[in-house]
Parts: sequence; structure tokens; C-alpha cells
Amino acid sequence: MRTPGSRRRTWVLLLALAAVLSLALVACGGDDEEGGESAAGFKTITIQAGQPIKIGISSAISGDLESLGVPIAQAAELAGKDVQIEGFSIEFVRRDDLCSSEGGVNAATQLIQEGVVAVVGPICSSSVVAAQPEYERAGITHISPSATAVVVVEPARGKPYVTTLRIPANDGLQGIAQAKFAYEKLGARTAYIVHDTDVYGTGLADSFAKEFERLGGRILGRDGYEKRTTDFSAVVTKIQAQNPDLVYHSGFYAEATPFIQQLRRALPQVKFLSGDGVRDDEFLRGAGRDAEGAYLSQPSPPAPGPEFDAFKQKFQEAYGSDPSDSPFTAEAYDAATVIIRALQEVAKKDGNNLRIDLRKLNEAMRKQKFTGASGPVEFGENGDNIGKAGIEISFYVVRNGKFEPVQ
Amino acid sequence: MFLASTSFWLDQVVNGLTIGSMYALIALGYTMVYGVLKMINFAHGEVFMLGSYAGFGVLVAFGGESIAGPMVVLAIAAAFVGAALASASVSVVLERVAYRPLRNAPRLAPLITAIGASIFLQFLVLDVTGAKASFYPRIFPSGSIEVGAFRITYLQLFLVGCSVAMMLFLYIVVQRTAVGRSIRAVAENRTAASLMGIDVDRAIVTTFVLGAAMAGVAGVLWGLFFLQVRGSMGFLPGIKAFTAAVLGGIGSIPGAMVGGYFLGLAETVGREALSAIPGLNFPNEWRDVIAFSLLVLVLLFRPTGIFGELVSRRA
Repeated sequence: MRTPGSRRRTWVLLLALAAVLSLALVACGGDDEEGGESAAGFKTITIQAGQPIKIGISSAISGDLESLGVPIAQAAELAGKDVQIEGFSIEFVRRDDLCSSEGGVNAATQLIQEGVVAVVGPICSSSVVAAQPEYERAGITHISPSATAVVVVEPARGKPYVTTLRIPANDGLQGIAQAKFAYEKLGARTAYIVHDTDVYGTGLADSFAKEFERLGGRILGRDGYEKRTTDFSAVVTKIQAQNPDLVYHSGFYAEATPFIQQLRRALPQVKFLSGDGVRDDEFLRGAGRDAEGAYLSQPSPPAPGPEFDAFKQKFQEAYGSDPSDSPFTAEAYDAATVIIRALQEVAKKDGNNLRIDLRKLNEAMRKQKFTGASGPVEFGENGDNIGKAGIEISFYVVRNGKFEPVQ
Repeated sequence: MFLASTSFWLDQVVNGLTIGSMYALIALGYTMVYGVLKMINFAHGEVFMLGSYAGFGVLVAFGGESIAGPMVVLAIAAAFVGAALASASVSVVLERVAYRPLRNAPRLAPLITAIGASIFLQFLVLDVTGAKASFYPRIFPSGSIEVGAFRITYLQLFLVGCSVAMMLFLYIVVQRTAVGRSIRAVAENRTAASLMGIDVDRAIVTTFVLGAAMAGVAGVLWGLFFLQVRGSMGFLPGIKAFTAAVLGGIGSIPGAMVGGYFLGLAETVGREALSAIPGLNFPNEWRDVIAFSLLVLVLLFRPTGIFGELVSRRA
């Protein structure tokens, strides 16, 4: 039998627990001085004769985002096919990051243990943010083909990571373009935001909301969801009560599919706008007729230059599918190309072995400047691809089960 | 916070009841197995997932999107049967392979094999399907019933109705039949039951079969409503249903039912009601926080849950 005394004691214990926890949080916040040049632990890697040069790939190889992650890995591997550097071949080592924070760190640890010289990935912003300190400590430069969140190159605390580079344009641009598109092209004056609570979804929603309000639009409400959420009925009821001109979504196709299906049951006509995480064939296949009329944006679409055509042909020969069916394949190819070009500059023969100074490799990667399959590649001080600074964000609308460019 | 109308709240109640009835159906499996074995069958979420896949297979065999007219009733009924059979078979194998050898082992051991079995089944299906989702055909007639501000779609009504019918059926089996009596006897005291001539192994297998059949039916209902199945789909509903079982009082069958509905309503109506308090805002991302906070609070202040008197007497 419980006495009033024991209940009071439980409360005291709970309060004490809360106090200890908040102290721990404050402490964590205080001493985080990571980032900056001093932290990068560059070493020199020696590759024995007959061994391949290992390049890591951190991508979603299994799990719900496999159809995003596998083509990215395939495209990256294409760039190293038949390449010889000082007589050494290239071997790609794939590790699964599941597009999650923990997965990003696990993949980083495994790849570093494997002795890779550089990494393509991680593919999701949340995995990049979690894995950055690991790569920095090991001095392994990683180049993401698809992480678009602003925070990737502008950490919440400290300086940008020296070992982080990325190919795609950042979400600051995408969110602003989406807001302009929604306000000017679609004529939306009110919007309701539904976003993945990870780094990518939150960041994109933030930049959309800021610009949409600056233009004079009104955000009627905002709801987040965790990955693997299927039940959106409570959110849809809220949206229905607010009746916005536009429903804005930022996240991935795995959750966008059930969301748009449930949304269409209640509001068949409301405009729907989402970003690059949803522009995937899986979305069309899953949402079927409910996807019709959905607007999607995509930064840095494969520039239809000769470089892209060459990549496309190579990809089709190797895998028998069109690389444009899945986003960020051209970016992955370019990311691997950056690594290979830099390796060609800095890898030095040492007797029969090959020596790779990781600091020099990092510097060489940062200095790469070329037109790749995804467009211009050139890195700014923080690791962002400044070649993409002026790039247009393309918009698509789903019509007859296909993504059609919006003029 | 905007001023919510009556229909808004009624809609949220319907949403809560819909998801709650699926939680309740799955929770029954947790609570029954706990009742007889004092173990948490963490692979139950995967049993639910496999049931959903089996139901999907049956619907495809019936013609997928082209099912129409009276065939819809037949196809859905067949999907229920197929899903229940598939889930039950998987559960029987699990019990035989993963749990029975450890029946007299320390209680942590079967818990760990349960988690192992859960991960094994989930990744097996993810590997086989290439982690791609499959999509249920949309065969259920759309449309809804509206009475004043109250509105419920046919599908939601069907979902809640099916769950309640299944639960009644289970309740009758457990309370009124010889099989049910043997299950209750084993739950009360396994040694005494076996001394009275009850086949304990058989009672335990029956428990697994009944719980899994409920989960299989829940899998089909889930598929009909959310329209997709994938290997990882069992995880979250599994944990939520476990929470519901604890809320209601683990080991108690009415507890699991009430717990399921309570959790479903807490996540939807409860969250909105908290948000309606001026100065507070709990958008949708708080949903899991609310569900699992309830779990922690129940474990702290009333570990026996709403109906779980048996457990407290035992302890």
C-alpha cells in the first residue's frame, strides 16, 4: 500500500532526476568546441603494392530510403571504374548509414577502420552532421552528394569542418525558391507546414517559412513528424480546420506517400509543394493518383551539358537504368570524381607502395574546379559548392504519373 | 492557437479511435503472451507486419485494384483469414524455436531472443523486398457518414467495427470455452494447471496463435487504411501496442483493449487538448513523446496499469 509519504518521495526523486538531466545538457552545450582546423587529425596512409586505394561510400544501402541511396552509391562507383592511379586500382567500400544520425556515425567508424582515404557521403544531412566530428578527428575528407541542409557547412557552434565538402546547392537557396514559387507562381497566401523533424526537414521548412512570411504570406500552422510515421490523420484534421492555400512538406518520400494519400482524402484540391527528398519514382509508384498535381522542387538538376550526357550513357551501360530517375546521381558521380582527381595529384609512389598524405588530399580536393555531370564544381571556404551559388532551382509537377518540369 | 470547432474535435476523436483500435488489436498479443509466460514478445510487431504482407498477397491474388462489387467483401474476408493464418504460423514457429527452449531460463533470456527474432524478421523482409514498400489496392469504397458535426468514413467505421468484433470474439473464446479456460489456468499457475491435467504446451501455443491472429487482422486493417506495407512497418505500432498493453495493465485482456483506445486518443485528442491551453503548443512531433511519457508515468505510479490487478497480487 502506498502512503502519501512515498508518493512525495517519488516526486522528489523525479525532480532531482530532471535537475540532473538539465545540468548534463547544459554541460554538454558548454564544452563543445569541435570544428576548426586544429581538430582535424590528418595522417599519411600507405597502400601496399597490389592493394587497391579504398574510397568509402556512406549511403542508405538498406532500409526505407534504399531507392534513394543505392543509385547514389552506384553512380559514385562508376567514377572509379577502370581508373588507375600510379598503377593502383580504386576500390569502393560501401557502408550503410540508413540516413540516420546513428547510422552516419557507425558508417564513419567502419569506413575509417577500413582505411579509406576519402568518403562519398553521407547522403543525408542528419547523418553528415552526426558523422562530421568522426571524419574530422580521423582527417578523412568526406564529400556529400546530397546533403542540402545549411547546417552542414555552418555548424551551430564553432567553425565549419575542414573535412566536410558537398556538391549540391544548400537549402537556404531551395527554401527561398520554394517560397517564391508558392507565393508568386501558385498564388498561395497561406501555407501549412508539415516537416520531418530531422536536420534536413527542419532546415528546409525554416528557410521556406522565413521567405514566405517575408513575401507577405501567412503560415497557418506547423507540424513535425518522426521518420516511419504512417498515421497523419491528426495532422490532416488540423490542416482541414485551417484550410490553407498550400500544404508545404519537407522530408522524404517514404513518409510523404502516406501523408499525401491521407491529405487527399480530406482535401482533394489543396496545393501541395515539397522538395528534393520526395522527387523520387517511389513517390509516384506509392501515392499513385494522389500524387497528381503535387509540386516538387529540386536544386541543381543535372545540367544537360555534354558531361551529363556522358555520365548518363555510362550509367545506362553499367546498370541499365536512367540516372535521372533518382535524384543526386550526377552529384555522386562528381563527388567521386573530385576524390579521384585529387588523388591523381597527391598520391606518390614510395618504392612499390603508394603514399597518400591526407592533408594534401584535403587541400587538393578543396581546390578542384571543373564542370561535372551535375554542373560546376568549386568549393568555398566552408566547403559549400560555390559553383552552385547562382544555380536555378527547378520545379516539377506530377502529371499522368510523371514529373513534368514547370515552366 | 486557432479556435477549433466541434467538428474538429470530433474528427480527432475518430482519428484517435481508428489508430487506437489497431493498437488495441496488436496489444492483445502482448498481453496474452505476458499473461501465460510473463515475457514480452517483442517480435509481435513483426508478426503484425507479416500478417499485413500476407493480406496484401491475398488481395493481389484476387486481382488487386480490379476487385469490385461483392468481390470486395470476399477478398477482404479472405485477406483476414490469410493474414491470421500467416501470422499464427510464424508465431507458432517462433514459440517453438525461440521461446520454448528457454521457458525455464532466467526471464531475461527469452526477452533477448524476442528482440533478436524481431530484428531477424524485419531485416529478412527488408532484404527480400529490397526495402521497397508494397502498396495495397484501394478497393474499399470511399465515402463517409455525417451526422451533424460528426463524420466518419466507411473505412474508419469498418476498422473500428472489425476491431471491436475481433476483441469480443477473443473475449468469448477466453472466457467461455474450454481452450480459454486452459489458457487462464496456465496464466494463473502453470504448475498447478499441468497437475490438473492441462496440456501446458498446447495452451501456450494457443495463446500465441490467438494473439498472432489478432495482429494479422490488424495488419490487413492497417494496409487497407494506410495503403502501404514495408518490412520496417511493424516496429512503431509494435512499441505503441506494447505501451497500450502496459497502460491497460499487462496480462489483462480488457486492459489491452482499453489501453489501445486510450493511447490512440491520448496521441490525437489529448495532444490537441494540451495545445488548446493558452501558452502551450504541442504540434504533431510531440505525439510519441506523449505516448512514451504516459508509459513512464504509468510504470512509475501505477505499474499495474488500469486493469492489472493480477500482477500486483503476484508481486
